[in-house]
Amino acid sequence: MDLDKVKQTFILEARELLAAMEEALLGIEEDLNPGESINAMFRAVHTIKGSAGLFGLDPIVRFSHTVESVMDRVRSKQISLDPTLVSLLLECHDHLASLITSTQEGVEETPESHEGSQRLLNQLIPYLEGNGVIESTPVRVAAQPSGASEGGWNECWHLSIRFGPDVLRNGMDPLSFVRYLGTLGKIVHLASVVEKLPRGEDYDPETCYLGIELDLDTDADRQTIEDVFEFVREDSEIRLLPPHSKVEEYIAFIRAMPEDERFLGEILVAGGCITTKDLEEALRTQKAETLEDGVIHGRLIGTILIEDQAVPPPVVAAALDKQKKFQDRQAQEMKVVKVQADKLDRLVDLVGELVIAGASANAMAVQVHEPRLLEATTIVNKLVEEIRDNALSLRMVQIGDTFNRFRRIVRDVSQEMGKSIELELHGGDTELDKTIVEKLSDPLMHIVRNAIDHGIESLEVRRARGKPDTGSLSLNAFHDSGSIVIEVADDGGGLNKAKILKKAVERGIIREGAELSDAEITSLIFEPGFSTAEAITKLSGRGVGMDVVRQNIDELRGSIELESYEEAGTTLRIRLPLTLAIIDGFRVGIGTASYVLPLDLVIECLDLGPFLESEENHLINLRGEVLPFLRLREIFRMPGEPPTRERVVVVQYGETRAGLVVDRLMGEFQTVIKPLGNLFKQVRGVGGSTILGSGEVALILDVPQLIQLASEPSSGLRRRPATHLPPTHS
Amino acid sequence: MAESMQLATRPAQPPATRGEEKVANQFLTFSLGGEVLGMEIRFIREILQYGGITEVPLTPAAVRGVMNLRGAVIPVIDLAVRFGRPSAPVDRRTCIVILEVEEGESTTVMGIVVDYVREVLDISDTEIEPPPTFGNTLRTDFIRGVGKIGRRFVLLLDVERVLSAEELASSDPAF
Repeated sequence: MDLDKVKQTFILEARELLAAMEEALLGIEEDLNPGESINAMFRAVHTIKGSAGLFGLDPIVRFSHTVESVMDRVRSKQISLDPTLVSLLLECHDHLASLITSTQEGVEETPESHEGSQRLLNQLIPYLEGNGVIESTPVRVAAQPSGASEGGWNECWHLSIRFGPDVLRNGMDPLSFVRYLGTLGKIVHLASVVEKLPRGEDYDPETCYLGIELDLDTDADRQTIEDVFEFVREDSEIRLLPPHSKVEEYIAFIRAMPEDERFLGEILVAGGCITTKDLEEALRTQKAETLEDGVIHGRLIGTILIEDQAVPPPVVAAALDKQKKFQDRQAQEMKVVKVQADKLDRLVDLVGELVIAGASANAMAVQVHEPRLLEATTIVNKLVEEIRDNALSLRMVQIGDTFNRFRRIVRDVSQEMGKSIELELHGGDTELDKTIVEKLSDPLMHIVRNAIDHGIESLEVRRARGKPDTGSLSLNAFHDSGSIVIEVADDGGGLNKAKILKKAVERGIIREGAELSDAEITSLIFEPGFSTAEAITKLSGRGVGMDVVRQNIDELRGSIELESYEEAGTTLRIRLPLTLAIIDGFRVGIGTASYVLPLDLVIECLDLGPFLESEENHLINLRGEVLPFLRLREIFRMPGEPPTRERVVVVQYGETRAGLVVDRLMGEFQTVIKPLGNLFKQVRGVGGSTILGSGEVALILDVPQLIQLASEPSSGLRRRPATHLPPTHS
Repeated sequence: MAESMQLATRPAQPPATRGEEKVANQFLTFSLGGEVLGMEIRFIREILQYGGITEVPLTPAAVRGVMNLRGAVIPVIDLAVRFGRPSAPVDRRTCIVILEVEEGESTTVMGIVVDYVREVLDISDTEIEPPPTFGNTLRTDFIRGVGKIGRRFVLLLDVERVLSAEELASSDPAF
């Protein structure tokens, strides 16, 4: 019995449904035509209720039933969805989510959760009033009883269930479905179908051979009944026949059939349009024609049925349409495959190894000068490159989902702060490595909360400054030269430089009277223990804010830029690498060691000699542009003399360019980034390592840090080489 | 890589127990600067010939560099320098002992450079004396105890202490 596994599926699905519900709720306030969103919400709660019922999770069933009833009244426009109700429903969403979480932890109900349910239910009850008991949801059009006296031969739903052979193995008890159906209404008649049951030794006790035909007298709608079979729907055949079926209704019925691939004839029989006899005859005709022709082209059953006048053409057309729709739908569903994240990570790891092994084979082929071998390894490497790109793209996810979560946060936080804020989202389809997206959500949360709390001013201040009452906050994501940029912009008060300076002196971060550039002042807010909020609020200002953000971004090999205009707003720009695992590298040599630069950041390579502008100030003249440079040999305090012909690699990161002086240029190659571990955390200028084709380890240079070293020689904030090093050259 | 990953996830073996009351631990003994030292075998993953080390600039002197252990990049510690002695010249017997050290939640795999590896010895707890408090060239907190083997003595190292990543990273950079 692997019920746990099925339960996991339920939990996973419930989470997705809840996410859909939240999104719908948040969208509704701006939605001019909220019908679809309301339906989506209703369906979500409804499905959760149905599935929870299967597991006997009564607290969830009870609670979601009431929520569903309220939503149903919204759906049928008996009550309107005002902001208060939206807030209440959002709370219900949160509560449902917490119920699901405790289910996952194996706790069905705690006193707190019971209390929570009760409190929310009490709030929901007023919305149900006017109709007393709302026990059943309205029956949908397809199953609408029309002229109840007609076709009185069938007051009940007829259910035809053929369980799949694996139902028992999947941990399902067929009886539990019958039992649950009993809670929806009265089971009038039940017959078990055991024709599939084999004799004697062919019988496998773990295989399910059972089928059930039953008549159910219920007010529940089709969806509710279908949902009972949620967990066996895939491999079982479930057929529903609504009560009071009339000829015209069959068309509608066929359209509304459960999505089960089945033979057209069977659809018609199940729909009651034709009898089994009609079908048999039609089948016989088709078979006969097939035999005559000797080929299986015959006439389609649909054609036979019409020509033989078994069913009117519109019914067949509807059934065919239905079949086609099902196929289209199936094709669409096949486009998405859910894969466990760790399997994907393992694949990417292996591809990483493959890249290294490929590079080493190639290096070997070059060494032995065997053209055919070289050709073969070149082809292999090309394929490996493609596999790498594909494997990495598997891990890419759109940042939109992360962005969407901020709708809720901005809504809640701004309400709490009594500020009116509009959130704009751009570039939600920008793709980022899954790991990065996951690690990004916390820092982004911090930044957004900061923007709402400290950035956007109170209404009075905004009016005094002549700004619109509603503050604006925007999240924007886009690609920019080999990295991804995520911008958080607000139109708030901006950073108050005088205040920052004062605070930094108070907190002992800088000395009194220190001369700092604007950029240096704004970057002070990223220093540990810095917080400018005069009052510590619930949301931010615990002094663990921005330095943690910076740390998180650093760990992702990213950087933060800050642009702020007093009284006009702040834009925070996070720049991140596309992926964490593999990069195209450019290898350079210094002495006997070799280092790797990320190729994306390399602009060009030149000889130092002709471009040298000033040795003392470490400047080169690049066709009129003066760039700072630094000698890696000096920075890394390498022993030995530089060669007479030194090379410069011009690198660019963000807006800054600099030259890195090295001994040798060794060309491009693909490389897998290997972390260096805690021991090397404090090493500046080295970001990671990689394994060369020869098996040797090469260090990957951290270009942003090096550029910082090269371009800000006077900043007193960061750790730097303790002494000025004498220039070493011949 | 597959192999090394498997090894990496394997938990450190508890000390081998033999009999009820007499608990024997196995120790790997090795030579460093003419002295015989030992460490518990449960930390040790493998022993490799010296080679393939890449220096990392601006690191403490005790950090010899990094090496490629079947696809994983691991740090290599110069044990002599860690003990405040001059680094020994590399010869054909110089070895890198690969160890797995747990520190808090995480497990670190690292290599240490030793002059040469001697043998594996069984030393029961009753034959281990507490470390002497003076007369040592080693920091006393680096020593777990002194093992008696017949008439010889072996200094048994406290591996976790000696290879504490925190302490290694914060020691003075090499100049």
